[in-house]
Amino acid sequence: MLDPTDPIDSVPNALGRRYLLKGLGAAALGGALVVDGTSAAATEIAHRSVADAPIDGTASPNDRVPYLGVHQAGVVNPRPANGMLASFSVRAETLDALEDLFKTLTMRIAFLTVGGPEPQLDPKLPPADSGLLGPIIRPDNLTITVSVGASLFDERPWLAPLKPKHLLRMTGFPNDALDAALCHGDLSIQICANTQDTTIHALRDIIKTASRQLVLRWKQEGNVPVVAPGLDGRPESARNFLGFRDGSANPDSSDATAMESIVWVGKEDGEPAWALGGSYQAVRIIRNFVERWDRTPFGEQERIFGRTKISGAPLDMPDGHESDVPDYAADPEGKKTPLDAHIRLANARDSAAARNLILRRPFNYSNGVTKSGQLDQGLLFIAYQANLESGFIAVQNKLNHEPLEEYIKPIGGGYFYTLPGIRDAGDHLGSALVTAARGASR
Amino acid sequence: MSSPESQRADGPSRLIVPAVVCAGLLAVAGGVAFYYASQTANRPVEAGIVTVTVGDKACDPMAITVPAGRSVFEIRNISNRPIEWEILDGVMVLDERENIAPGFKSQLATRLKPGVYDITCGLLSNPRGQLTVTASAHSEAERARPPLKAFIGPLSEYKVYLTLQSGELARRTASLAAAIDAGDLEAARAAYAEARLSYRHIETVSGRIADLENVIDPVAAYLAGRENDPGFVGFHRIEYGLWGTGGTDGLKPVANKLAADASALKSRLRALKLEPVDLAGSAVREAQRLADGPIISGEGLYSGNDLAEFAAAVDGLEKPVSLMMPLVGEASPTTAKSIADAFAATRAKIARFAAADARKRYADLPADERKALAASFTTLAQAISKVNATLGME
Amino acid sequence: MRFHGLCGAAALTLALSSGAFAQQANLDLVEPVAEYKLYVSEQVSKLVMDTTAFTAAVKAGDVAKAKALFAPTRLSYEAIEPIAELFSDLDAAIDSRADDYENGEANPEFPGFHRIEYGLWEKNSTDGLAPVADKLLADVKELDSRIAALTFPPEKVVGGAAVLMEEVAATKISGEEDRYSHTDLWDFRGNFDGARKIVDLVRPLIAKKEAKFLKTVDANFAQVDGILSKYKKGDGYVTYDKLTEADRKVLATAVNTLAEDLSTLRGKLGLD
Repeated sequence: MLDPTDPIDSVPNALGRRYLLKGLGAAALGGALVVDGTSAAATEIAHRSVADAPIDGTASPNDRVPYLGVHQAGVVNPRPANGMLASFSVRAETLDALEDLFKTLTMRIAFLTVGGPEPQLDPKLPPADSGLLGPIIRPDNLTITVSVGASLFDERPWLAPLKPKHLLRMTGFPNDALDAALCHGDLSIQICANTQDTTIHALRDIIKTASRQLVLRWKQEGNVPVVAPGLDGRPESARNFLGFRDGSANPDSSDATAMESIVWVGKEDGEPAWALGGSYQAVRIIRNFVERWDRTPFGEQERIFGRTKISGAPLDMPDGHESDVPDYAADPEGKKTPLDAHIRLANARDSAAARNLILRRPFNYSNGVTKSGQLDQGLLFIAYQANLESGFIAVQNKLNHEPLEEYIKPIGGGYFYTLPGIRDAGDHLGSALVTAARGASR
Repeated sequence: MSSPESQRADGPSRLIVPAVVCAGLLAVAGGVAFYYASQTANRPVEAGIVTVTVGDKACDPMAITVPAGRSVFEIRNISNRPIEWEILDGVMVLDERENIAPGFKSQLATRLKPGVYDITCGLLSNPRGQLTVTASAHSEAERARPPLKAFIGPLSEYKVYLTLQSGELARRTASLAAAIDAGDLEAARAAYAEARLSYRHIETVSGRIADLENVIDPVAAYLAGRENDPGFVGFHRIEYGLWGTGGTDGLKPVANKLAADASALKSRLRALKLEPVDLAGSAVREAQRLADGPIISGEGLYSGNDLAEFAAAVDGLEKPVSLMMPLVGEASPTTAKSIADAFAATRAKIARFAAADARKRYADLPADERKALAASFTTLAQAISKVNATLGME
Repeated sequence: MRFHGLCGAAALTLALSSGAFAQQANLDLVEPVAEYKLYVSEQVSKLVMDTTAFTAAVKAGDVAKAKALFAPTRLSYEAIEPIAELFSDLDAAIDSRADDYENGEANPEFPGFHRIEYGLWEKNSTDGLAPVADKLLADVKELDSRIAALTFPPEKVVGGAAVLMEEVAATKISGEEDRYSHTDLWDFRGNFDGARKIVDLVRPLIAKKEAKFLKTVDANFAQVDGILSKYKKGDGYVTYDKLTEADRKVLATAVNTLAEDLSTLRGKLGLD
């Protein structure tokens, strides 16, 4: 039974409180409040971004991310410590069946991300819930983000005309060794939460409730290293399994205007009307050859990335901060930052590169052992952008043949379109798509 | 008249810049060392000696300005006590001369980087003078000097080239010996021409290994008894036989010895140790040598195949220089371009002569045409001679 | 190396006290790098010769002969992999595996040695392999001329010893390289020979200072030799599935230790 003193209800804005604690040291917080006089929420927005690592001791099971909005949750929100991406085949042979699936997913999202007691059934029946979180489900910062793949449209003539214009089946890049069993899918679900138990619970709930329409194809779990609060209160980007900070140059996800142009599809993008407010999701499972990396000279590691390993500062300002912007114009021959360094290829920091910005939201994964007895570790790369072609695909094409390729091998992933948000309690995922399909078939 | 110190005037600078001195030496297996003729020829003109007169109370002058790089100071002690003269960077002594007796002078040659330094003037209590070292093209080049590591690739690649080409020479001289042994004049002439091309490829360096050079490539003109001299062996003896007198008769021992010497040359080149300055340095020297002698007089006096050989010699000059070009291009694009242009011009000239005088023996070409070709090689030598300075190695 | 802040200072002290700062690269490396290029040139000439015979057998439809020539032909490629890999387009064309293509063997783009290996062993046929063979021979010849024109980067030469061991450790010890023919032990031979050649070439430069290191490395190479010699058959080796679990374990540890040790070789020679 729900305890009346449970903090879920006693702290209506769990989100705001969490960020308040996470984003700032106490002194900095006080200063910010006094100086700008901004609200706690505004303070959070100014300081927390997707790239920032979760801060030790600030996560609470009661953290709640609103699931309603113009956009889905789980895209511009800072990453919690755990993430998962699951890809499914969708059965739905009719529009009604598809709508039913979207409604089911919406219902589960509404329950799981808000929390509450699990329903009690007759003990003679299997339980309604896996029970792994106990009788009371707490939100634990959970977000569930639903996206659809090209095959969902391609295999359904009644849906095909509505396919987003850049959505396609992922094709291999030169360094890829794609495993068909880890690629593509009709629908992807990204699940993020403070703890792994919550993500697994959500996945099992969805599989249990949507199994009429969904068949699991592959999944990959990962996490974001939790860091101690920084001494200077500046946020730190999380490190990947190669030991480098990842996301230092990510656009600021708390900047709503920037997100509208970089991440969210708007009217100017020329996409089908139903797709407004959505985003392209690029997923890549990138294996890291960590043993070999650990046997690579420190200096070479830094030159490969273009950042100092310890602080993450760009190589042309080694005593700086990871957020410092490298001055490539002053280093045209690559004497400080090699021309083929990862960060320089990915983002040349010029006006042309500004058109290729993407929001990266990756998780580190550690799976087990390869056939050769090496660690199967890497990066569950997830990126969001308003235009897949000028976003991830353009950036990856710039990275082809980079020196880092010697140490990484993309083995799976896919391209998906993240559906627009669930606008209000009466709305459901994909409602605009379903309506558009109905309109077209009539 | 001078104190013993003046005899050691170069001492400290040698310690500071061992590379420059080493650069003058081409160490060969067996410890034979060659003096690098080009080294002295290429050294930038030394600035005039700066005279500093040290009296009882002060230096004259008290303020000196010199360009960065090598400077030679002559310190005259006109005080009545022995002095030491020092160049100081803060408290650090950069260089010094000690114990200059009253009435004596001493020279100090040193290498200075741009900056402002103190000079001592006799007694410690005397005021110090000021030495201002200004940046020069030379110091800028030195600053841009690539790290030693940058030369490992080019030097090893040139060694590979020398090894492979000398291997080719060994094979071709063996074919030549076989053809002579078989008495096949046509085959022997063809093998001779081929082997000469291989030799031209490596002559940039092999021409300096004197003992082998003297048995592989002596020309009759330099021998007392000319064609009848017992020292007339190697390539030209065979050429003399194949084109001049008597065909292959009596050439067998000469050809066998040549093949053996070519094999020995291959081992010597493989063990050769080269320094970064040698890559361009040997090319300069060889281009100038060709311009001064063989191109004017012709060397294939009997076969008349000089133009093909000179074309091969240009390939041999270009190989070591091309390996330095990425570094040169970075340091000075204009130098890189002048070198590329000089190579192109020389090749074009050879090709033009070859086309126009296909059936003529080279020695029968008009003297002014040969002189024009020699001038082209001199220009080439001058262009290449900029390489080491551009890379701060002089 | 650069360190920052407090932890940087601590790390610096630690590194200094353990003598981790290596010498600067010097011209002593010219000899080994030149000799290594000569070695690679010889190997690649042999590769061209062997590939010519191998592809001729494939094109003549002589499955038995092609099978017999497959492993010996690959030997010289495996020995020079650190250099061959510098040309990523050719490496993919010559030596990529089915995993590098999304639908594996079925992908018509799957090329090179392993495509032919698949045909020879899985289908016991040379059907459709003639164009693959022609392309392989052309690619190998192209590799030969590109290597001839390449000034070898010293850090790639010295680092190559470790690279070879990394290859074995990461993707060969499992037997997935020659998964149709199981001729992996031949490949290992090439990889070990190639790595050892590099160590032997730089040995005089570090013999005095790194005697203990060289002793460990030599011991591991000897261990590998010991195991490989147990599986020798004629001029070559038995199939990889004959390797006992115990020997596989020894091989795996030797390879990993070699990869670990040889990864320091560049630093020891001042090539970061």
